[in-house]
Amino acid sequence: MKELKPTIFVVDDDEGVRNSLRFLLKSVGLSATTLASATEFLTTYQPDQPGCLVLDVRMPGLSGLELQQQLNLRGAIIPVIFITGHGDIPMAVEAMQHGAFDFLQKPFRDQDLIDRIQRALAADEKNRAALRERDRVRARLDSLTPREREVLDLMMRGKPNKVMAAELGLSQRTVEIHRARVMEKTDASSLAQLVRMVMDSGQVPDTK
Amino acid sequence: MQPGYVSPVEPSRSEQEAKDLQGRLMQVSRLATIGEMAAGVAHELNQPLAAITTYAQAGARLLERSDPAIEDVREALRQIAAQAMRAGAIIRRMRSLVRHVEVERRPTDLNALIEELAELMETDARVHGVRLRFELGPGLPQVMVDRVQIQHVLLNLLRNALEALADVPAAERAVVVSTALGESGEVELSLSDTGPGIDPEVAERMYDPFFTTKELGTGLGLSVSTTIIGAHDGTLGHRANEPRGASFFVRLPAA
Repeated sequence: MKELKPTIFVVDDDEGVRNSLRFLLKSVGLSATTLASATEFLTTYQPDQPGCLVLDVRMPGLSGLELQQQLNLRGAIIPVIFITGHGDIPMAVEAMQHGAFDFLQKPFRDQDLIDRIQRALAADEKNRAALRERDRVRARLDSLTPREREVLDLMMRGKPNKVMAAELGLSQRTVEIHRARVMEKTDASSLAQLVRMVMDSGQVPDTK
Repeated sequence: MQPGYVSPVEPSRSEQEAKDLQGRLMQVSRLATIGEMAAGVAHELNQPLAAITTYAQAGARLLERSDPAIEDVREALRQIAAQAMRAGAIIRRMRSLVRHVEVERRPTDLNALIEELAELMETDARVHGVRLRFELGPGLPQVMVDRVQIQHVLLNLLRNALEALADVPAAERAVVVSTALGESGEVELSLSDTGPGIDPEVAERMYDPFFTTKELGTGLGLSVSTTIIGAHDGTLGHRANEPRGASFFVRLPAA
């Protein structure tokens, strides 16, 4: 998979504010893409693009809060740092409730913004790594045969081989072979790791 | 003084008192409108201040380097100056509105009067996330008006429209300010919004003094505006806007 360089997106309808932020970020060696409206961002943003979004809450047309909702609907995981004007605190609270990474009130200390951006970039990288890992695990789980999947489900519930053999109508020896194949295909080093992997992948078997 | 004799001074004094009272009422209403706009102006001022702060901090950062890029620092300083000028212009616009002036009617180009106020109106609209459009008709005759009073009416109507749009989805919030020549040669100014329209119950009472649907309204806006337009021999009214919303219009006789 191609690794994209993280980008800091700055969306603010005020040209002065927008340019000053680009200037500041450039002065500390961070490159930013600036956009004048939420709609512009929505039409250009690719969800697989890592980075973070510095977003003005209050804008004509699509507001910052509405953009956040759109991103949530699309399942975009980009961390959002809201910048708010004076008296926009209720909006900032709403933004945080909808999963905003952080918020800052204009005007702010440059270091506060830079710190938050760096934390957001780190969080984004971590989230994307976790997602990649989840996809890998899912692919491994998908490679299991239906029979191996049945064995895995019983392993998840802590059933001993003997019980599994009885439930599946197989010999203990066959169960052992399937079990070894499951461990091999999922690349799990222990039952405990296997259980955690399956839980993290979100593909937990139905408890019967 | 003989009984039954009424001094000719008496009625004119009470007339003067009524006039004074009306003048004060207009002043109160005008200040209330300006007060309502203050929040928006504060927000608007905050933008250049934020830009100035950011440029100044970035400039200081650049100077801390062993080999500072002087051209970049110069650019930051230039931007700081430009943003400070912008903040000053916002304050000047607001102040010209607050300044109390004597009522004075002059032949006026209504479009020019609107354009003078356009930036302030745009500020107010932007803060409310509303798109504001101007459709000013060309070649209109002049009208005999007091600038400040008519601007007051315009701002009142705008504030009402913005208020009406509060619950409309952001992408659909729009106000159109237009001017046109009326059927009998009068000049018509109208403000049309894409809000929910006017409740018939509200429509019945909205021109009454002290009637308000706003949480912090004085209830003076429309009644004072009607008085002002009436004093100019004009009319103020409303109609439904197509396809939705309300439209308020002011008709003023040509000078």
